[in-house]
Amino acid sequence: MAPRKKVFYRRKVCRFCADKEVVIDYKDVKVLKGFVTERGKIIPKRIYGTCAAHQRQVTEAIKRARHLALMPYTGSIQY
Amino acid sequence: MRHYETTYILRPNLGEEKFTEIIERTNAIVEGDNGSVIDIDRWGIKKLAYEIKKETQGYYICMNYAAPGSTIQEMERIFRIDDNVLRYLTIKLNKGKEIDQTGVEQEKERIAAIAAAIAAEAEELAQQDEDVEGKSEETDKTAASEESDSSEQEQVEQVKQDDSAE
Repeated sequence: MAPRKKVFYRRKVCRFCADKEVVIDYKDVKVLKGFVTERGKIIPKRIYGTCAAHQRQVTEAIKRARHLALMPYTGSIQY
Repeated sequence: MRHYETTYILRPNLGEEKFTEIIERTNAIVEGDNGSVIDIDRWGIKKLAYEIKKETQGYYICMNYAAPGSTIQEMERIFRIDDNVLRYLTIKLNKGKEIDQTGVEQEKERIAAIAAAIAAEAEELAQQDEDVEGKSEETDKTAASEESDSSEQEQVEQVKQDDSAE
């Protein structure tokens, strides 16, 4: 039996756990912009490895920013 | 009393006086209910990510205050009636914990400290800009003289074209 191939993954670390100074806030579109796709969809945590607690906060903040038209529900952010 | 933050968007074409009037009216609601306004942040006119009531821009105001819960109901009722308010969002700060007068004072101090830090940073930047401007002035002059040269050339070319047209 052939030895099973070992696949190496880079361990993903939650950005907000690594850098405690970044506060998740719906007013801070610059930070939130990094967590949506080009089309404005929220990126799942399995991609960036954000921890569950922080992902919830990010999601909440993005939804608030959308309500206030700081971010689009759909479509790119034009800045 | 609880600690809240409300951001609301006004129509952009009302004029500065009307903005102030609406902001003062909103503050009066908070203060009328024994609440206290901690901070008012006018973000000014910003582009909206999508159209709201046919408007593409909006005047954003973010207010930070302490008030009893009934104030929110009254304020949002008035926001819904007023056609000049495009959107509003109220959130509880500090995980919805009660805030008292000392807490309000502390919060005021904290915000003042942040504002001072931002102002100091801006000043530093402005000073850096001045330094850079002092150096770049000479290059500006040379660029300007080049520009005038090129415009003369253009004129000459136009004259040539006119000649050929004839």
